[in-house]
Amino acid sequence: MRRLTFFLRFFLWFSGRHLRRHLGRALVVLFGIALGAAVFTSVRLSVHASLHSFSRSMDFFAGTAEKVLVRPGGYVPEGVLPVLLAHPAVKDFSPLLTTFVRVYPPQGSSFLLIGIDPLLDQSFRKWRIRGDREKTAERWLDLIREPYTVILTEPLARELGTVSGARLKLEHARRTAEFRVAGILIPEGLALVEGERVALTDIATFQELTGLYGLVDRIDLTFKPKTSPLDIEDLARKLPDELELRSPSAARDSGTAMIRAYQLNLSVLSFASLFVGMFLVYSLVALNAASRRRELAILRAVGASPRLLFNLFLAEGALFGLCGWLLAIPLSSLLVRYLLHSVSQTISTLFVRVQVEGLVLSPWEILVSFAVTLCISIAAAFQPAREAMGVSPKEAMEIAQTGVRRRRSVRRLAAWAVGCILLCVPLSLMPGIGGVPLPGYLAILLLFVGFALLAPWMLERVGRALSPVLQRFAGMPAYLAGRYLRDSGARTSISVGALITAVALFTALVIMIHSFRQTVELWVQQTVSGDLFVTTKMGQVNRFRFPIPEPIVAGLSQLDVDADLVPSRRFQMTYGDFPYEFEVMGMETFLKHGGFVWMKGDPETARPLLLRGEGLLVSEVFANRTGLGIGDMFRAQIEGSRIEIPVAGIIRDYRTDGGVVFYSWKQFRQRFYDPQWSGVRFYFRDRTRDIDAQTTGLRDTLIARWGDRLDMISGKELRNGVLKIFDETFAITTVLLLIALAVASLGITTTLTVLVLERTRQLNTLFAVGASFGQIRSMICWEAGFLVVAGEMAGLACGFVLSYMLVYVINRQSFGWTFLYTVDWGTLALSFPLIVLAALVAALPAVRTAFREPPAALLRER
Amino acid sequence: MNSNSIEPVIHARKLSRTYPFGDSTVTGINQVDLDIAPGELVVLKGDSGSGKSTLLALLAGLDHPTAGELVVAGHHLSNSAGADLTRFRRKVVGMVFQSFNLLPTLNLLENVCLPALLAGKPAEAARAKALELLDWLGLKSRLKHDPAQLSGGEMQRTAIARALINDPALILADEPTGNLDSRNGRVVIDLLAELNRSSGRTVLIATHSNLADSLAHRCIRLRDGALTDPTCDG
Amino acid sequence: MMLRQKKLLWMLLCITASVSIAAADDSSGFLSVTGPCRLEFPRDHSPHQGFRTEWWYWTGNLKSETGRHFGFQLTFFRYQLTPFGGAAEWPEPRSAWRSRQIYLGHAALSDLSAKRHFQAEQVGREALGLGGWVQWGPDITFFLRDWSAVILPDSQHLKASGEGFSFSLELKPAKAPVAHGIDGYSRKGSTPERASCYYSFSRLETRGYVTVAGKSIPVQGVSWMDHEFSTAPLESGTVGWDWFSIQLSDKTEIMIFLLRTEGGGVNPASSGSYIDASGAVRHLDRGYFEIDVMDTWKSKQSGATYPSRWRLNIPLLGIELGLVSNLPDQEMRTAGSTGATYWEGSVSVKGSKGGSLVDGNGYVEMTGYAGPMTALK
Repeated sequence: MRRLTFFLRFFLWFSGRHLRRHLGRALVVLFGIALGAAVFTSVRLSVHASLHSFSRSMDFFAGTAEKVLVRPGGYVPEGVLPVLLAHPAVKDFSPLLTTFVRVYPPQGSSFLLIGIDPLLDQSFRKWRIRGDREKTAERWLDLIREPYTVILTEPLARELGTVSGARLKLEHARRTAEFRVAGILIPEGLALVEGERVALTDIATFQELTGLYGLVDRIDLTFKPKTSPLDIEDLARKLPDELELRSPSAARDSGTAMIRAYQLNLSVLSFASLFVGMFLVYSLVALNAASRRRELAILRAVGASPRLLFNLFLAEGALFGLCGWLLAIPLSSLLVRYLLHSVSQTISTLFVRVQVEGLVLSPWEILVSFAVTLCISIAAAFQPAREAMGVSPKEAMEIAQTGVRRRRSVRRLAAWAVGCILLCVPLSLMPGIGGVPLPGYLAILLLFVGFALLAPWMLERVGRALSPVLQRFAGMPAYLAGRYLRDSGARTSISVGALITAVALFTALVIMIHSFRQTVELWVQQTVSGDLFVTTKMGQVNRFRFPIPEPIVAGLSQLDVDADLVPSRRFQMTYGDFPYEFEVMGMETFLKHGGFVWMKGDPETARPLLLRGEGLLVSEVFANRTGLGIGDMFRAQIEGSRIEIPVAGIIRDYRTDGGVVFYSWKQFRQRFYDPQWSGVRFYFRDRTRDIDAQTTGLRDTLIARWGDRLDMISGKELRNGVLKIFDETFAITTVLLLIALAVASLGITTTLTVLVLERTRQLNTLFAVGASFGQIRSMICWEAGFLVVAGEMAGLACGFVLSYMLVYVINRQSFGWTFLYTVDWGTLALSFPLIVLAALVAALPAVRTAFREPPAALLRER
Repeated sequence: MNSNSIEPVIHARKLSRTYPFGDSTVTGINQVDLDIAPGELVVLKGDSGSGKSTLLALLAGLDHPTAGELVVAGHHLSNSAGADLTRFRRKVVGMVFQSFNLLPTLNLLENVCLPALLAGKPAEAARAKALELLDWLGLKSRLKHDPAQLSGGEMQRTAIARALINDPALILADEPTGNLDSRNGRVVIDLLAELNRSSGRTVLIATHSNLADSLAHRCIRLRDGALTDPTCDG
Repeated sequence: MMLRQKKLLWMLLCITASVSIAAADDSSGFLSVTGPCRLEFPRDHSPHQGFRTEWWYWTGNLKSETGRHFGFQLTFFRYQLTPFGGAAEWPEPRSAWRSRQIYLGHAALSDLSAKRHFQAEQVGREALGLGGWVQWGPDITFFLRDWSAVILPDSQHLKASGEGFSFSLELKPAKAPVAHGIDGYSRKGSTPERASCYYSFSRLETRGYVTVAGKSIPVQGVSWMDHEFSTAPLESGTVGWDWFSIQLSDKTEIMIFLLRTEGGGVNPASSGSYIDASGAVRHLDRGYFEIDVMDTWKSKQSGATYPSRWRLNIPLLGIELGLVSNLPDQEMRTAGSTGATYWEGSVSVKGSKGGSLVDGNGYVEMTGYAGPMTALK
């Protein structure tokens, strides 16, 4: 205890006061690490909020069910209830239906309507109505008693401006009906699903509204105590073949797994800013250890152990970590506000629907961010601390110590660097672990480390090669700058390493996002082709589950319009645990006007197979996740039909990160059953006439005939919408990128300041022997220029490698898709001078520092 | 004084220290035989580069000899490991440097307390002892001052207090007056002599000034790393 | 998890106990019990739809071959949500889930020798085979999931199960059903419509099996069956009731219900029936009997204090009886504190009748003792 008190006291005396004396430097580093920690923390917290909301929603929704009875791609018939009633293992069951509806006249976005039998459901899901105890019992009975009654959550009631007892028109794909609000839900249990945007109604009302007579989405089951898996198998045998007993957590687990993978992906990206912050801590602690070498020797001479010195510097790192993390709290709270929304939007777009209500402060996430920040800072201080440990007490005897620094072999570092970079190759080829490209991330880390280690060697080379040339063309200051950098050793290279990291990230992300966007644009043009898309009302939010009513289909087919129609029907399926969409579409017409972005397989050979129904197309994601390749047999049970068709080709598709399978609508109807239409798109035949005008005309015709019973969007709007979502998604990444660059600029500032401070005597000697202020300033600017240019060149090289890894390893392993590699030369060419400029501006404070004190004072003996 | 009758505080036999320099070596000290008895005040003389600092560093446990035997206050320094040397520096010797070597971030009192705290003594005890010493050295009014605010003489007196805080048997002073004017130099030498006289501590002063000559029991002289004729003058 | 279910069950009990709960405005469409019920069997065993509530209620005391004593209870409630031809029109075409009737079941088994009390509940709307009744010739079957009660002309069959217990019993009437009150018209308050139609099988010779902890035990004994239907029998001011069914060793039976009012009084409409060995019934007005509470038991779980020992005197018949509960804790409880808590359990009876010693068994139901009950008025 006394030792610890002494250590803390002495740490304050020795390190604390020193940091206070050089507060400016300390604050810059602190801000850097805080920024890194803030980005890391807020990214994690934002994703965590989505994760929390998703899994909470799923849990409340799943309730206590032990198994869920579903019919893949379709509805469970009520006819199975007697089987469940009669089976001895079944304890309770509750059928359930859901759909998205909106109020009429349309106001706000759609919300989830859940249809249940309140009596059967009570042992599954918890919900209560606000109000007096005895009256609420009557009110929830109203759901059964009175047709067309709903119970709303409080936020939803507020949003819709309605109260208990009021009337409300709800719009569904099939029809619009007037409901009475029978009560308001207390915010607990089922009411918390979907970000509290839910309404409950009786199953009878639900079926009458949607026309799903005799059908339910699923039936939740619980079993009696001591029910064995054999009993459950027995139940499965007694149920019709096309029904499946699934684990209620399957949907949640696959959803959470996707969000977690996304969290890790973003964490790794945000970790980059923390990594850059780590460079900052290193450079300052290393500076302190080097500039206070004599004090260390004195300490050793008066009886301090090497371990004490080691601990002192480690503690300095820890102090930066701790304070940086504390400073990160207010920064995070600002940043998280921006991230929360965009992260949840991205997750909703890419993975699963989430409704984030607010930030959830998870102790675990806070602990993670704290531990990571602290560990990184301590790790950054480790090397300087070890150097401090090696200071000999004898150095206290020497007057005017200049510091005998052991020069590490630049070649040996370079060898390590090459080793690290080479190791990336096998790591990139390794498969991801549980959908998370861990080896890929390790490879990226090694790539950064490798390039940072390569920096001294590179600087030496550049310095050696450039100095003579520069002397001739740019004069003495440039020559001196080159020579200095050549000999400056590891410290300079650390800062260059930070710059390399930031530039590499920038380059890689610019390339990746550009490639991605180019590919998505191509996909949008080809696969999302069409001039008008028509679907059932709220078809999109209901995932195209409800077919367009027969009379409308008949009417659409007979429209007098100069356009080709491509009908389609989508089924939401799972392949094992992997969710995918099975889409049947008017293949022949579609191929005439649009097409697929092919990845594997020959479009010419595949085409006749597709048209004859002897082949289908799977998306790249589907192929990657299921391992199905061209020629393999695709098997699925869709509603009552057993599908067995070989894969004819693999195509790119970016609608979700689930997979997609395409098959001919015509052939599906011939071979299996009439799949009906859940959507149809129109292609105008006459491309010479104004397409917009034709679209508007067609839209007016459809509205005139069917009013608002159909949802319509023009192809142009849809394609723009897809690209807009894409751009919004990558806005987060751009923010992370800019922050990493900002932290790297801070790094340049500290490095140059350190370089200047370390050499004040040398600089003043130069001054004394006749160098002008201008020449010295110019020398420092040249040094900055060298550092920045060297950092940029290496960063660019590293970035190209990184972009390749991001596209072909990380994206493939975490999302399942890749894209066509294209380099956005324009953006790169434009941004690089800007980065150079930014870095040079960052160098200015260092130049000013050099002459803050009169040269005579600096030349004086200490 | 007869140095053979009692156990010497410093006992060196054929003590050598060489340094590698490129492909050859440079000799710091060579084959030094030295005995200093308890209570002696010895002045070590020699020109710059004669090996004074090297010898002092060896005696203070700051450096290792490359050959020979060295026993200081019963500690066999020729074959001691790092941790033992650390303990030795804390307990056995007090060191006074030419350039004072006070830690700039610690105030005067803290600088003096430091070795006691490093040795694991309670903070109150260290403080009491430091106050006592600083009072004796006439620095009581400057306890909270930083080294940068002190004069050279004050700094060196502080350094003496620091050397004394752990009650060492041996005080080693390396050019203690080198950075001081003659008046302050005199004060410092008188203090060291006073220490020797009043508490019987062994004091070894390496210096090329003559200030201490008259007070020394004896002088020894180093030339090119070897002990030569033991006279004070020259 | 069963919270709301119990709440519903409790509500049903309370509709009989304290009427104001069912809003008066929609009770108008229901049929009312206002006069003699003119019961006919087997017709009147079946549900009387159009009246709001109805129950079929079996209780009994059973013994195993080794003398192990059990009490059981099985109840089927019918609750009609809306009157026929009411304001809320049903859509066309309509979902198979549309129904006006909800059936609730309540089963309990008191393992008196082991001092354990098991209970279970079921609920379901009368749709899709979840619950309800069917008639096949003269046979009437009530069912809820896998529970059932079958009333045949000469026997009745009960089947129920829950966590840790089940029973399957065959009951044979030793006497014809007896109508309480005036020809089955049982007044429960001051106005004519405060009443129910009420009859009982007062002595059903019973044999069958009870299962406790997975072990099936053959049992036999005597049961009681009540069937009662009404729309709004009780009036405000009634806080609960105590109901007694007693089967004496001399082949006679007694039924008494006390309607407790606020302030500790008893509603004068409280009454009872005495059934002699031949099956003849004698109506007992409030003035004919005295019931004194001799001891109480406080439930640690609900905090309610229930009578646990009584003295019953019917001077006219020379009856002096002592009743004591066979197990203090036969309380029916809900999770949390919804107030849906009452006591229903087996009692032992000893005393004298006309000077000679008699003993017997019975069942007692006590409602409105747990605190929140008053809030339900």
